[in-house]
This record gives sequence, structure tokens and C-alpha cells, in this order.
Amino acid sequence: MSSAVATHDTSDAVSKTRELFVGIFTEEHQLMSVAKDATDSGHPVHDCYTPYPVHGLDDALGWKRSWIPYASFCFGMFGLSLAFGLQVHSQFVDFVPLWKGWPIIIGGKPFLPWPAFIPVFFELTVLCTGHLTVLTYFIYRRLFPGAKVKVHIDGVTDDRFAIALDPESEGFDEEQARALFAKHGCSEILTVEGRA
Amino acid sequence: MSVASHLREPLVTGGNPKLADITDAVVAPMENKPTKLWWLAFIPAATLFVLGFSTMGYQISEGIGTWGLNKTVGWGWDITNFVWWVGIGHAGTAISAILFLFRQRWRTAINRSAEAMTILAVICAAIFPIIHMGRPWFGWWWFAPLPNMRGPLWVNFRSPLLWDFFAISTYFSISCVFWYFGLIPDLATFRDRTNHKIKKLIYGIMSFGWNGSNRDWSHYEIVYGILAGLAAPLVLSVHTIVSMDFATSVIPGWHTTIFPPYFVAGALFSGFAMVMTLLIIARKTQKLEHIITINHIDNMAKVVLATGMLVGLAYSTEFLIGWYSGSNYEGFIFFSSRMKGPYAWAYWIMITCNVISPQIFWVRKFRRNMVLVFVMSIFVNIGMWFERFVIIVTSLNRDYLPSSWSMYSPTWVEVLEYGGTIGFFFTFYLLFVRFLPTIAIAEVKSVAAYAQREEHAAAGSTGAAAGVLSPAPAAPKEEASHV
Repeated sequence: MSSAVATHDTSDAVSKTRELFVGIFTEEHQLMSVAKDATDSGHPVHDCYTPYPVHGLDDALGWKRSWIPYASFCFGMFGLSLAFGLQVHSQFVDFVPLWKGWPIIIGGKPFLPWPAFIPVFFELTVLCTGHLTVLTYFIYRRLFPGAKVKVHIDGVTDDRFAIALDPESEGFDEEQARALFAKHGCSEILTVEGRA
Repeated sequence: MSVASHLREPLVTGGNPKLADITDAVVAPMENKPTKLWWLAFIPAATLFVLGFSTMGYQISEGIGTWGLNKTVGWGWDITNFVWWVGIGHAGTAISAILFLFRQRWRTAINRSAEAMTILAVICAAIFPIIHMGRPWFGWWWFAPLPNMRGPLWVNFRSPLLWDFFAISTYFSISCVFWYFGLIPDLATFRDRTNHKIKKLIYGIMSFGWNGSNRDWSHYEIVYGILAGLAAPLVLSVHTIVSMDFATSVIPGWHTTIFPPYFVAGALFSGFAMVMTLLIIARKTQKLEHIITINHIDNMAKVVLATGMLVGLAYSTEFLIGWYSGSNYEGFIFFSSRMKGPYAWAYWIMITCNVISPQIFWVRKFRRNMVLVFVMSIFVNIGMWFERFVIIVTSLNRDYLPSSWSMYSPTWVEVLEYGGTIGFFFTFYLLFVRFLPTIAIAEVKSVAAYAQREEHAAAGSTGAAAGVLSPAPAAPKEEASHV
């Protein structure tokens, strides 16, 4: 197969289409073992494609755990502050200049009854964390309504498992890659073009 | 080869189906024309929906006077229906989030339709507080400061009615996000297999360009976990806050410390019952009996039994406190008004449906009898509606002053509006069944694969050695494809 020859400028890889060297497997454990083997032996693994999240694949590929939870924590703090500001402002003080608040006595209760504020603290924390976390994920992974599929490999949303090597990266050797795929029971080898 | 665990029956039955078989089974209703049975259910549901919503239009133009409420009984079917629907809306996210966090793998077959049910039920619930305002176009002052001569007059954040507004809207929007987030990989599955041009376009837009990339999955699972972690306490908070609408008042029969846990248990009870009602029909008509197995129904019946007894315990605790507090008003409501008063029939329907009849679920044979479970689930739905009716109406109709005592019965407007929400619920549930994957395909696949993985591990082949043990193909097929 001659199509795997590197022709693109890798420095501009984000915006350009490029070819990927893809091995298709029919079983999850085959993908797991090939992913581990490829990573250990220094093949440039671009990505894997699976019909469902395969647990342990990140470890096999040597990928780090997602950073998104840290962002979520910040969103939660933001939501909590919002709830605090909203309630304290509207019930007690007016810290927005020129927008006078109007504290009202209701049932002789104090102006700052913090236990009564807890439900809204909680709800706004959850609201902000949930929505902003999902939004962050979509923006980070460039997923949005009508987004084009970056790399389309037949059957990976149904019952096939794929591993994609990047032929343009250092350390890619087609012969060795073929041997590696075959060793783990590869059923098909493809060259797929996609926006990587 | 034997199954992975000898202790548990497999989650997906039918002789270890292949991954593609699962896709085929789930998307079949989306690819085929609707059956006669579907139309038979859809037409009456849609009719009821239109009728009920037209009645709401009539009520809004005429006013709340079209309802049977009076000065003494100021809440009737409206808030009864609201609490009933919110309760039903609890099972979906409970199944999705709480069972997810407890690693209950059997949830995968039922979570999608339970979540859809949640969203529809919460919409039905939200309709009632909105229409009971009489002038719903002023509804936005639940949040914004009321314009007046002196300055911004804000809503009262010390009131549980306001907490409820925050709780319900947060719950609704987070449930929608949770549901859609789970749908994306399955929509991509359908996009990739359909040949229908318009469907491919629509599902292509809806699936956000998903392609099963592990870079996406890797973060996806984390985000899903965060959503589940947020939604689990959220579920519990919503009905807790709904119960505070009553519990923070000074009405005997409402002013009850046990309300928050009691309402949460009741919500899960009615929610699981409604899930059973829908799924027993769905698994039969859509031929999904190997995915939504008899074990799923069995498990849900156990949850119904457990939560039903919690509700029973709450009922008896109310009586204990009615006696032990020494408060004449509390005692009167429970021992005279509810048990023997003019609405005693409603009270005894509630006890029969919620406490007595679910006891048959102690017997395994009964939990696995689909007809019986179906009938029982309807009983629970009826019983839980009456629970809310009893709490609201029997507490109000006997006021502190006997001269204010009054009776309440609904008018045709209230009955049709309630029917309208039921129509809405089933209309959109049936549309959901037609146009979206009713089962979380990716999740069921991971569960089906779980058994195979254990089997594989048991065979002693791990890591790189796997390729050696598995039957090696003669030679990889070569092919180039360009997309």
C-alpha cells in the first residue's frame, strides 16, 4: 500500500486533512492488547475508535486522566458564589450602586437567615456545574450540533474496534505496524482520511 | 464456555448476543413503520392531550373560578397533580444517577426510557403551578424583582415555594442535559447505519459529529460521572423541597418533620411503578425481552416493595406523632379526619394500594409474573395520586374553625386538565419510542461485553498474549477508503 507515505506538513495538522493507518478488530480484548503493545513498542498511536467506552484503554495508551473535573469544581464555586450574591443582595444589602435594595421583614425573621439560603445554594451550584461542565466538554472536543465527523471509520459505532496510527509521526513503520496488527488478530487494515 | 458469574444471571439474555444484534434490536422501531398497536395508543393519547390543553386555554381565559376550589380548600387537584407528576419524575434520574454511582449494571437497559419519562413527567408537573397562578404571564416575577414605586421588590428567598422554583427548574434542565448527553453516541450509531437521506441529515446534526473516538470517550465518561454525581443529590433535593412546601406551614397534617424522607421514598415508589408500567408494555411490543429482561422487572419490583414499606412506615409515624405530641389538632387530623372523615374512602384507597397490595412482591413468583406486576404498578400509581390528594385536601377541608369547614370536588375543567397531562405524557413517550433509541445502546454493549471480558480473563489470556490465543486470521484484508 502506497497511500501511507507522509506528504503533509505536520506542523499544520489541525486544520488539514491527513491519512491515518487504521487496524480494525472485532473483539474488545484484541484492541486492548494491540493498544498496549503499540504504545509500549513506540508506534505513534493517534486514537482508538470503539462502540462503547472501553475501560482500561486510557491506561493501555498511557493517557492521563481528564482535567475536566478541576474545571467542574471551579464552575461549582462560581454557582455557589452566584447563589450567595443573589440571595444576600436581594434580601439584605444593595452592593450594586444605584440599584437600591429593599430589605423586608417577613414574619419577623432575620434578614440573613443562612439556613434558609441552603436550598438555593445547592440548586445553583448544581445548575452551573452541570451545564458548564458539559459545555466545556463540547467546546474542548469540538462537538456541536451539525459538527462534521472528523474521522469516519465504518462500523465503529456498531460492533467494530479500531486503532489509528499516525503515519506522519516519527516512529511509524508500516511493515512493523502491519505485523503488530496481524499479531493481535486484525481483521482489516484501512487507510482513512480525516481531519485529525 | 460457561457464563462469567455463576451467582448472577446474565444482564443481557438470549445466548450472549453479538454487539450488532443489540444495535439491530434497539433501532428496529426507528427503522420500521409504526405498528397498528402504536397508532392505537397514539391516537387516544394525542386526543386527550389536545383536549386537556384546550381546557387549560379556557381556564386561563376564564380564570381559576372554573375550578372547584373554595376559601377553605385552596389547593385541590392542581397541586395534587403537580406533586404526583414530580414524584413520577424521580425514578428516571434515580435509575440513571444513583444506580450508576452504585455500579448497578442492570440499569443500562432501562435508564434511557426512564430518563425520557422523567423529563416528560417534570413538564407535566410544571404545568400545574404555572396554570394555578391564574395569570401565568406574571409568572416570571417568581424570579425577577417586582417593579413598583419604591425600588426593586425581590422575591422572598426564605420561602420554600421559591426554593421549589429553583429546584424544579434545575432538576428539569439537568435531567435534559443528562439524557441528551447519554443519547449522543447512540444517535451517531443510528446516523451511521441509516440509508434514509433525511434521517441521516437530522441524526447527523443531532449526534454532534460523534465518531466513537477514544479521546472523546475518555472525557465523556468523566463528564457522565460528574453529571451522575450532581444528579443523585439533586433527585433527593427536589422532593425534599417539594415536601417543605407543606412541612414549613402550620397546617396540621402538613406540619410534619418526617415529610422530606417520606416524600422522597414516595417519589421513588411511584416513579419505579410508572417505569414498570411503561417498560412492561415496551419490552413486549418492541420485542426487547432479551434486553429488558425479567430480572429487570424483578429488581424494580423489589425497589417498589422496599420504598412502599418506607412509605408505610412514614404513614404510621405520622399517627404516632399525632398521638405522642398531645396536640389535639394533629390528633384530630389523623385519627378523625383522615381515617373516618368525609374523605376516608380516599385514605383507605391510599393504604390499600400503597401499603397492603405491594406486599405480594415478597414472593419471587409474583415479581416475575408480568401481568400481575403490570396491574400492581397501576395500583401504585393510583395509590400515590390519592396519597397527595389525602395530604392536601383532608388537611385543608377541616380548618381550625369548624365554621370554615368545607368540602371540595373537582370540576370538569380540573379533570380534563389532568387528563391532558396524561395525554401529553403518553403522546410524547410514544413519539420518543418511534424516533429515538429507547435503550442506551452503547451502555448495554459495554455490559454485554463485560461478561465476555470476564470469560476472557478467566481463560487466562491477558495483555499481549490475547492475540496469540485468539484464532488468528489468515491475513488481514487490505482496503483503502477515503471519506
